[in-house]
Amino acid sequence: MRRRKSFLCPATLLPMLMLAISINLMSGTSEAAKSNEYADIEDNDFAEFDFEDETDESSKVEVEDEDDEFDTNVEDEEAEVEVETENDDEFSHFEDDEEFEGFNPKEDHEDPDEFYNEPKARPEKATPNPPKQPIKIVNIPAHLRTNWENYYMEIFMIIGIIVYFLNFFTGKTKNQKIANQWFNSHRSLLESQFSLVGDDGSKNTEDIQEPLTKESENIFTFWCSGRVCCEGMLVELKLLKRQDLVGVISTAMKPAHDQVHVRVEMSPEDMDSFIFCIANKKSSLRLAKEMNDLATYCPERRPADKFDIPGSYFIMSEVAEVASAMLDAKMISMFRKYPDAIDTIHFSDQFTGPKPGEDQQPLELPQGKQVLIFVFNILTGKDKSLDEAIEETKPLMQLVFYCLDKVKRYKLSREAKTKADKNRTRVAENHWRSIHAVKAEKAAEEREKKRREIKERIREIEDPEKQRKMEERENRREKKKQQPKMKQLKVN
Amino acid sequence: MQCANDPRRPERIVRYVSPQAVLNAQNDEKKDAPNDDLTPDYMNVLGMIFSMCALMMRIKWCGWVAVYCSCISFANTKYNDDTKQIMSSFMLSISAVVMSYLQNPMPMTLPFTG
Repeated sequence: MRRRKSFLCPATLLPMLMLAISINLMSGTSEAAKSNEYADIEDNDFAEFDFEDETDESSKVEVEDEDDEFDTNVEDEEAEVEVETENDDEFSHFEDDEEFEGFNPKEDHEDPDEFYNEPKARPEKATPNPPKQPIKIVNIPAHLRTNWENYYMEIFMIIGIIVYFLNFFTGKTKNQKIANQWFNSHRSLLESQFSLVGDDGSKNTEDIQEPLTKESENIFTFWCSGRVCCEGMLVELKLLKRQDLVGVISTAMKPAHDQVHVRVEMSPEDMDSFIFCIANKKSSLRLAKEMNDLATYCPERRPADKFDIPGSYFIMSEVAEVASAMLDAKMISMFRKYPDAIDTIHFSDQFTGPKPGEDQQPLELPQGKQVLIFVFNILTGKDKSLDEAIEETKPLMQLVFYCLDKVKRYKLSREAKTKADKNRTRVAENHWRSIHAVKAEKAAEEREKKRREIKERIREIEDPEKQRKMEERENRREKKKQQPKMKQLKVN
Repeated sequence: MQCANDPRRPERIVRYVSPQAVLNAQNDEKKDAPNDDLTPDYMNVLGMIFSMCALMMRIKWCGWVAVYCSCISFANTKYNDDTKQIMSSFMLSISAVVMSYLQNPMPMTLPFTG
């Protein structure tokens, strides 16, 4: 017999149950979307969210009944955040992508728990807007080709370098021109005095191509030789640093002149023993400090007013009679005729150049040379052209040859000679004494060093017996050294 | 035929020896005369220091100053000096400037302007 299925059999119950559950779930979703009354339902976790709507007074009352403890401030804030209506259109902004920054649209929106089941969610998180991520501004360097006006400093630097090199070529050319002009202007005079004018190092003197040697862009030299009384004459044209922009600026701030340095090397038998120097104030101060022979033999500086020399010149002389002998009428007339053109005149039989530094003290007594040094200024200015200034140095070169012949002829008096020789002997003795003191000090240091080494070696010996023997031997040796040396005589 | 007043004596010609050559013969190592102009040496050293600052600390204005120091050293150098040192100083300063801009193409800012 077939049993008749009742309405409540499992076959019907199950689908009906599932239908009921789904209907229930759907109704729950719609209510949550519509109103905020869900906050009142079972789960009081969201009771703190007092979604107040001014129009909906019933929900407001209920919230107040249940959530007295919550701060009214929160309520005020929340009133601005959420507007609850039962109208679906008012939630259309949830579908707007721009409302939700950082919100991942791929997440399942249909999950109703997503917005509600956050236990301790803050008010801001209850809203659909996710927190903003901080925006990092990356410093992207400007492109080199598009913003040329920003590189004004670089452009300025490049222009400066171009200007520097333009000045370099201009200044170099001008200095070369001045040197060539001076040499050509004085060549005939020099060739009348010397057999050889200009030496570039060629093997044969007849094969010399370039008599004028360029030491740098502002220093030119040439050597003359083959004359009585002297071994040779070195002429250095020390011009202004026109090739260096820094030099040009410093010359503009502190005026200076092109100079001609003439150094005549006398033969030893052609010059007596004296040292004499006349220079302008600034040069005399510098020479008295720097030059070894002047600092050693001529410590005093006297003004040259006594000799009626115009300008501020100072005389440094070892013996007074030499100054009177050298500054004769012709010399004084040259000083008067060419004031400022003569910078220095320095005669010395003990010339060794500048003073050596403290760490460069020579062990041997330096041998002095017999030299005549002349320094002349080439006075170019607004009222004088270069040609005129160069022509003015011709008489000064004549003065050089005049002094050359004069020094050859000049002989010191007996007293002056005695005094000069005494000075030289004293200087040599002082030198040897200082050298000896230095040598003695070095020897003492070395002895001390050796003694320390021997003591160290004795200490390193492990055997105490050996150590004691070594120490005794050392002590005996030292005692022997300290004893005065006595000669022994054998008497037979 | 020489006159009595002619001071020239061809037999007394002495060939020129530069002071630098004399110094080098006395000492084995190359040494400058004591009163030589030291501007090129100082500028060389300054140029190298600024180049190092530009390369290691990436300071652009140091590179430019190094270039200027090299230029000044070049302008003041003597002909008998070693040109290799000047060239190496130039190369170092130029490479310092180039490296500074390759690492950071931004325009240069001076220290006091921030």
